[in-house]
Amino acid sequence: MRIRYLKVLRDLTSDYGKNFMLVLAIAIGVFGIGVILGGYSVITREMKKNYMGTIPASATLEMRDSIPKELMESVRSFPGIKDAERHATIVARMKVGEKWYPLLLFVVDDFNDMRTNKFNRISGALEPPSKTMLVERTALVMMQAKEGDNIVIKTPNGNPAEVKISGIVHDPGLAPAWQEQAGYAYIALSTLEQLGENPEFDQLRILVDANNMSAPHIRQKASELADALNKHGHFVEEIQVPPPGKHPHQGQMNAVLTIFIVFSFLTLILGSILVATSMQTLMVKHVRQIGIMKTIGATSGQITGIYFFMMILICLVAMLFVPPSHAAASLLYNQVAALLNLEITDRSIPVIVPIIQVIAGISIPLIAAAFPVIRGSKISVRAALDNYGLSKKEEKKSTGSSAMVTKFFGETINLSFRNVFRHRSRLVMTISLLAAGGAMFMTALNVSEAWNTNLKRIYKQRLYDVELKFNKAIYTDSLLAKIKSVQGVKGVEAWSYSPTALVKENSFEVTSAYPDKGHGSFTIQAMPVPTTMLNPTITSGRWLNNANGNDALLNQNAKAIVPNIKIGDNISLAVNRKPTTWRVIGFTEDVGSPATVYVSIDAFARLTNSSGKVKMLRVAYDDRSIPNVSQKNLEIEKLLEKENVPLSQSIPAWLLQNAIASHMKVLINSLLAMAVLMALVGTLGLMSTMSMNVMERTREIGVMRAIGATPKKIRTLIAWEGLIIGTLSLFAAFALSLLFSSLMGNFIGNMSFRTPLSLTISLTAMAIWVVIIGGGSYAATLYPARRAGKLSTREALAYE
Amino acid sequence: MEKSLIELSHVTKSFPVAAGIFQALKDVNIEIGQNEMIAITGKSGSGKSTLLNILTGIDKPTSGSVIINGVRVDKLSESELASWRGKNIGVVFQFFQLLPTLTIAENVMLPMDFCNTYPKKERRERALALLDLVEIKEQADKFPSALSGGQQQRAAIARALANDPPIIVADEPTGNLDSQTALSIIKLFATLAASGKTVIVVTHEKEFSTWFHNSIAISDGVIVTEKEVLV
Repeated sequence: MRIRYLKVLRDLTSDYGKNFMLVLAIAIGVFGIGVILGGYSVITREMKKNYMGTIPASATLEMRDSIPKELMESVRSFPGIKDAERHATIVARMKVGEKWYPLLLFVVDDFNDMRTNKFNRISGALEPPSKTMLVERTALVMMQAKEGDNIVIKTPNGNPAEVKISGIVHDPGLAPAWQEQAGYAYIALSTLEQLGENPEFDQLRILVDANNMSAPHIRQKASELADALNKHGHFVEEIQVPPPGKHPHQGQMNAVLTIFIVFSFLTLILGSILVATSMQTLMVKHVRQIGIMKTIGATSGQITGIYFFMMILICLVAMLFVPPSHAAASLLYNQVAALLNLEITDRSIPVIVPIIQVIAGISIPLIAAAFPVIRGSKISVRAALDNYGLSKKEEKKSTGSSAMVTKFFGETINLSFRNVFRHRSRLVMTISLLAAGGAMFMTALNVSEAWNTNLKRIYKQRLYDVELKFNKAIYTDSLLAKIKSVQGVKGVEAWSYSPTALVKENSFEVTSAYPDKGHGSFTIQAMPVPTTMLNPTITSGRWLNNANGNDALLNQNAKAIVPNIKIGDNISLAVNRKPTTWRVIGFTEDVGSPATVYVSIDAFARLTNSSGKVKMLRVAYDDRSIPNVSQKNLEIEKLLEKENVPLSQSIPAWLLQNAIASHMKVLINSLLAMAVLMALVGTLGLMSTMSMNVMERTREIGVMRAIGATPKKIRTLIAWEGLIIGTLSLFAAFALSLLFSSLMGNFIGNMSFRTPLSLTISLTAMAIWVVIIGGGSYAATLYPARRAGKLSTREALAYE
Repeated sequence: MEKSLIELSHVTKSFPVAAGIFQALKDVNIEIGQNEMIAITGKSGSGKSTLLNILTGIDKPTSGSVIINGVRVDKLSESELASWRGKNIGVVFQFFQLLPTLTIAENVMLPMDFCNTYPKKERRERALALLDLVEIKEQADKFPSALSGGQQQRAAIARALANDPPIIVADEPTGNLDSQTALSIIKLFATLAASGKTVIVVTHEKEFSTWFHNSIAISDGVIVTEKEVLV
C-alpha cells in the first residue's frame, strides 16, 4: 500500500471516538434510506402482487334489476370482455357490544368459482353454509369476535339476526376494517334472503380482455356492454371503474413513503454537513502536516486525494449499516402491510436499494466535504507552516456592541462572543447543521400537531353528532319533533343524499368508486337552508342562503373531479339516472368528506320529485362526548325502531374521526420517529462540532493558561461559547421550521384531504429543542473544556 | 568557485501589513555553489526565514529572480513547485515535523511516494539505507513519539535525503537539541556536504560557525556580510 494511504488508515484508527462519530453521522442517513427505500420497494411490489392476485374487476355495472344467471354467458362472450360475475353488495349494520357499526356484506354467486375480487382463505369453511358468513380477517377486531362466534346483523330491509362466522378470509383489495371503522363479510344468496333481503344480484363485475390497465379503454368497453344490456331490457344504472391496478390506498401510501424518502435523504444530508464540519476541523488540525507534506513534495492534488480517500473509507465503514437497514425495513413494511391489509410473501429487498444506499452514502458526504477538503489542501506551504493553532486574524477595533456585551455580561462572555465569531465559515456550517436538525425535528412535531388540529376541525365543521341513513326516503315531519323531544338532543334536521356522477351526453354515469363503495365515491347532499348541522369552511363564493335556488357548493374533492369549474358555471349531476342542473355558487374545504356537492333540500326535492321525503337525519346533542353520543344514539335508534323507520346506517361523527385518524396513524407515528431521529443527529452534530471546536484550540488554551487564566475561567469561557452557538442556531431553526412545516403541511394535507394543513407551531417541540440545544451545548463542551482545563500549560502548548 | 547551484538576483520581498508595506528582503543577491555548507545568520525578524522560504520555493519573490539548479523557480506554478521541491530540496525543520502516525521508515518513504522517484519495491530498502546513514536504522519501525529529539532530527534528515536532492535546507535544526546532539547533527550535515550535497542552515549558534564554508548574515532584509569561514 502506498505510504500516503497508510497514513490515512493510521490517522483514522488513531482517533476512534471522533471517527466513529463521523461514521455514525453517515450511517444514520444510509440506514434511514435503506429502511425507507427497502420498505418502499417491498410494499410497492407486494401491493401490486396482492391486489392483482385478487383479480380486481375492471368495472362494476350497477343494474336496476336482478341479473338472471343465463345472462352471464352472453356477457362473457361479449366482444372485449374476458370474464364476468354476478354480485351484490349490501350496506348492513352489525352490533358490537351496545354499538352499531357499518357492515359491508358481499354476496357471492359461487364460492367455488369466484372470477373477480377473489379472497384468500385463512381458516374455516370454503363456502359459508346458510346463515353463516366468511369474515375478512381485519374485521374480526371491529367485531370483537372470532371464528364460530355469532354476530347480530341487520340488513336495510330485514330484522336483526344472528349470523355465525364460519370462516376467515383475507381480501387484499379491501382497506383494513379497523381503518374504515366497518366490518366486511361474504355470504351466499340464501343467507341474504334469510336476512330479509331479496335474493338477487344487481352488480355485474367484468374483466376486460386487453388493455386492462387503461381506464378509458375499460370505460369504453363497459359502456358498450351497458348499451347492449339496455337494448335487451337489462338496465344499467351506473358504471364504476376504479383506477386500474391501483389499491384503494396506493396513492396515499406512495405519498407517505415519499415523505419518508425525503426525510431519510435529509438525514443523510444533515449527517454529511456534520461530516463536512468535521472535515473542516480536521483540515485545520492537519494544517501543519499538510504544510510538511507539501514541503517534501506533495502537490495539492495529492493532498486532496489523501483526504478524499479518508472520506471514502469513513463512508465505506458506514456502509456496514446497509444490511441491518434491510432487516429494519421489515418493521416498516410490516406496519404498512398491516395498514394496507397486505400479506408479504416475498421479503427480498431489490438490489437497486443497496446500490442507491452506497452511491448516496458515498457521493453526498463527499460532495459536502469537498469544499473544506479542497480549500484545506490548497493552503500555501508558508501559511500551513506558519499555523500555530492560534488565530492570526487581526481583531478589528472594539465596537460599541462589544463594549455593551462587556458592560452587561462581563469580559468572559464578551471573549466567548468574539471566539464564536472568529471562524465565520465554521460558525455558519455549525449553525446550519444545528438549524437543519432543529428545523426538521420541529417540523415533524409541528406537522403532527397540525394534523391533530385538522382532525379536530371535523367537530367544528360537523355540528351534528350522528348521521342516520334510511333504506328509502320517508316523511319525517312528526319524527323530527319526537327526536327533538328526547332529552339531551340539541337539534335534528332532515337531509337527503344520493350517489351522483357527472352527466355526459349520450353516455352512462361512470364513477371511480371501489367495491367498498367508499373510496372514490361522489355524493350529493341536500340540506335545509339555513342549516345548523354544518359549518363548512368556504374557500370562495358563499354558503347556501336560498332554499329554492338551484345553488350548489363543491368541496375540494368534488372540485378535483371537475377542476376547471368556477363560480357561476352550471354543473349537470345525475341523481337516480336523471340529470339535474345546478349553479355553482362556491367551494368548501371539508375535513374527511369524500367528493360532495351541497345543495338545498327544497331544490333537491323539486328536481328529484321526492318532495317531503328524506333519506337521512342529522342529530346534534348537548354533550358531544363519545359515551354520551353512544348512549343517545341507542335511545334514538330505539325510537326509530318504535316508529318503524327502516334505518340502514348510523354513523357517529366520532366514528368518522377515528376512521380518518386510523388512516394516517402510521404517518403520524413515523413523523414522531423521524423527529427523534433528527434530534439524535442534531445532538450528535452539536456535540461533535462543539467538542472538536474546543479540541483544536488546546494550544490556545495553553497560552491562556500561561498568561494566568484559571481552569475554571477557561471552562466558563468555553461553556458560554457552546451556549452562544446553540442559541444562535435556535433562531435559524425556528425560522427554517416554519418554512418546512408549511411545505410539509401542504403536502400531507393535500394528499389526505386535498387541502393544506394549517401552519401549526408546536410549543412542546420548541421547548424540547431548546432543552436539547441548551443541555447539548453545555454537555458537548463540558468534557473537552474540563480536559483542556486540566492540561498543564506545557502539555497544552505542545498539543498537536 | 564552481558554477553556482543557487543564484538569487536582486530579490526583494514585500508583505502588506497594517502600517503599509513591509520589505522583508531588499535587493538580495546570493550565489551558492555545489558541495557548500552555508550558514544563514541574523536576528529574529531580520529576514532569514523569508530568505529560506524563497530558496525552497515556499514563497515567491516580489521582484528579482531565483535560479536553482538551472530552473527559474520563481516562475513555477504551485504544483510544479511541489514536485520540483520534492526532488531538488530536502527540508529539515527545527521541530523535526515527522508525521506522528507513520513509523520512522514510513516517514522517510513518504517523499518517494509523493514524487514517485524510486520503484515501490526499493523504497523501504532505500529508507533503511538512509536511516543507517544517519545512524538510527534500528529505530526504523518505531513511531516518532518513541524517539529522542536528536533521533527525530536524524530521521528528519534522512527524510530530507529521500529523493536524493542536491540541496538540503535546514531551519534552525539544532535549536531544539542539547549541545552534544546538536554537534552530532552539524557533523552529519558536514558529512553530507562532503559527499556532494549543498547544505544551507539557518542558525543562531555561533559555536558551530567553524563547520560552515560560508556564512550569510542578514539584517533588516539586507545581506550585511558574506564571509568565508575555513573549516
